[in-house]
Amino acid sequence: MLKPFLIAKNLHKSFNSRKAVDRVSFSIRKGEIFGLLGPNGAGKTTTIRILSTVLEPDRGDVIIGGYSIRRNPDAVRRLIGVCPQELALYEELSAIDNLVFFGRMVGLSGSEAKAQAVARLKLVGLTGRAKGRVDKFSGGMKRRVNLAVSLMGHPKLLFMDEPTVGIDPQSRNRIYRTIERLRDRGMTILYTTHYMEEANRLCDRVAIIDAGRIIAMDTPLALRSRIGPPEQVTLEDVFLKLTGRRLRD
Amino acid sequence: MKHIWFIMIKDLKLFSKDRMALFFFILFPFIFVIAFSFIMGDLGAEDQRLTLNVTSLEEEGGISYQIIEAIETEDESVLEPGEPIISWDVDYDEAHQAVEDGELGGLLVFPEDFTDGIYQSSGTELTVVVNPDAINTYAALSGLAHSIATRVNSQWVAASATIELLIAEGLLDPTDSEAIEEVMEGILSGQNVSEGQSAIVLATESVGEVEPVNAANFIIPGYLVMFVFFAAALGAEIIVRERQNHTLERLLASSVRRWSILGGVFAGTAAKGVVQITVFWVVGILAFGIDLGVSPAAVVILSVLMVVVSAAFAIMLAALVKTRRSAGSLAVLAALILAPLGGCWWPLFILPSWMQFLAKLTPHGWAMIGFNKLMLFGAEFGDVVTEMLVLLGFAVVFAVIGIWRFRTSAV
Ligand SMILES: Nc1ncnc2c1ncn2[C@@H]1O[C@H](COP(=O)(O)OP(=O)(O)OP(=O)(O)O)[C@@H](O)[C@H]1O
Ligand SMILES: [Mg+2]
Repeated sequence: MLKPFLIAKNLHKSFNSRKAVDRVSFSIRKGEIFGLLGPNGAGKTTTIRILSTVLEPDRGDVIIGGYSIRRNPDAVRRLIGVCPQELALYEELSAIDNLVFFGRMVGLSGSEAKAQAVARLKLVGLTGRAKGRVDKFSGGMKRRVNLAVSLMGHPKLLFMDEPTVGIDPQSRNRIYRTIERLRDRGMTILYTTHYMEEANRLCDRVAIIDAGRIIAMDTPLALRSRIGPPEQVTLEDVFLKLTGRRLRD
Repeated sequence: MKHIWFIMIKDLKLFSKDRMALFFFILFPFIFVIAFSFIMGDLGAEDQRLTLNVTSLEEEGGISYQIIEAIETEDESVLEPGEPIISWDVDYDEAHQAVEDGELGGLLVFPEDFTDGIYQSSGTELTVVVNPDAINTYAALSGLAHSIATRVNSQWVAASATIELLIAEGLLDPTDSEAIEEVMEGILSGQNVSEGQSAIVLATESVGEVEPVNAANFIIPGYLVMFVFFAAALGAEIIVRERQNHTLERLLASSVRRWSILGGVFAGTAAKGVVQITVFWVVGILAFGIDLGVSPAAVVILSVLMVVVSAAFAIMLAALVKTRRSAGSLAVLAALILAPLGGCWWPLFILPSWMQFLAKLTPHGWAMIGFNKLMLFGAEFGDVVTEMLVLLGFAVVFAVIGIWRFRTSAV
């Protein structure tokens, strides 16, 4: 049994007395794809922002690769890559310029940044558009650039916040394939989504989060088995059973 | 440190892709300058020009009388726009009282021993009596006193040399003190002793002449200050945009320090400002024939400091606002309020003293006082050190507020 690579302990975060993250604890093992599943406003992004040291929790701590986000955020930042829910790109610059710039920001040398940028673009299937300005790209292509950027500097742990929202099936499949390839290389991934079938397909384990709280956590198979024969129920049904609500209203 | 550099380069790259921004930075200012040189050309002819009062304690016939006669304004209508009136107050006590009463801004006084001091090389002192409220009069009088002193000095050397030459050539009798004095006075007052002595003519200029002032000497610095600030303040948008584009979050999660991000934006904004002032001065000199005064270095340093203040203001603004729209409109608002307040649109020294006081609450005001001193009143480097230090002070305050606010601001 592998030691957990990430341990989140009793995280709390409120915005003006409204609890966005409430008593959240979980751990992710090395090489695992861990899904955080929940409806809009459940607290997925807030959790990721805490884990990625951008937002300080009101209470609790996170240990990543042995380092605390509170006491040693810089060491944590060297281990992680973040693919934010919103595009975080300079749209007036080309795809390759974005990748090289962020590569240099994570401390790569000029030639390393260049080489990695080329490799990442290949991985997400955008080699032909390397020099194109991002603002001329389709939504799906932008998302792929967004993902490519988060892989600069060989992170050990990747946070992906709803990377497939609102994009064409072609780009979506491309992203799935990228994730599978990353998993084969041993990358640890935290993946948030509100598409249940996506979590079912990709994730080794999932946590279902609602109103800031984790209400269930297990393998997709085990979760489905809780409410019936796993081949007949979906994670959607699990969510409905647990909360009395549909996931997407 | 490396981060600052890459962020700056990235900002400049983004800037170069933005044609509109380029236009606003470089071309737009000149459209303004050209339009306003026409308007200001006439404005300067109004009677609201600065008056410089001069008096002498010497006996009539001293050199000071010749100097004052030479520089005194005889016909106001021939003055160039912006050129001050030089008025001769014959009665020292009366003039001094007028300064005390605040009726006059200041007074340049030639001492009793002026002529002796020069002839005997024992040195002499020009005094500027000044009403502390009248900063511009003071600056102008100091500049005038300075230029008289340096010119008399250099001409004194030239005159001595000439006389020695004349003696050596046997053209002048060294024992004939009257003849020597005549030659001397001729040189110092700027009159040719006689024709044919071209060596002397070259060495003699009329003493203390105030150079005719080119309206562009005022207009160019005014618009430089205004547009440098304007453009830099818009740099506040860059940080706000990083925030709204979520690239700020990405930078922070990749262990880029907050101060590096501010530093990068500051450096990028400042680099654009330096390009801007370079264009301003080059075009100003080549196309408008402006004169940087006796200390071009001071003009350059003052311009760079204005860039630094403006970039620091951008950082402060960026740390204080949330949206790009409010960053943009606050930048425009600040630029449009501070420019006239700080004397970018009209000379500060023609304004009532309460407006001159308000000007000093703005970095623009201090920059303009400095530029006016240097480019209109012949001040030297040392005379504008205060202005430079005040600008630096503004920059430090802005930057500290910006850094302090940005340290804790949400992403
Ligand atoms: N900076 C903030 N200020 C105030 N409230 C916030 C802030 N960020 C998040 N919230 C609130 O916290 C709650 C959780 O938001 P969060 O973005 O984490 O949800 P999410 O699960 O990512 O949702 P979505 O699927 O829509 O992305 C929401 O109610 C949201 O309004
Ligand atoms: Mg979210």
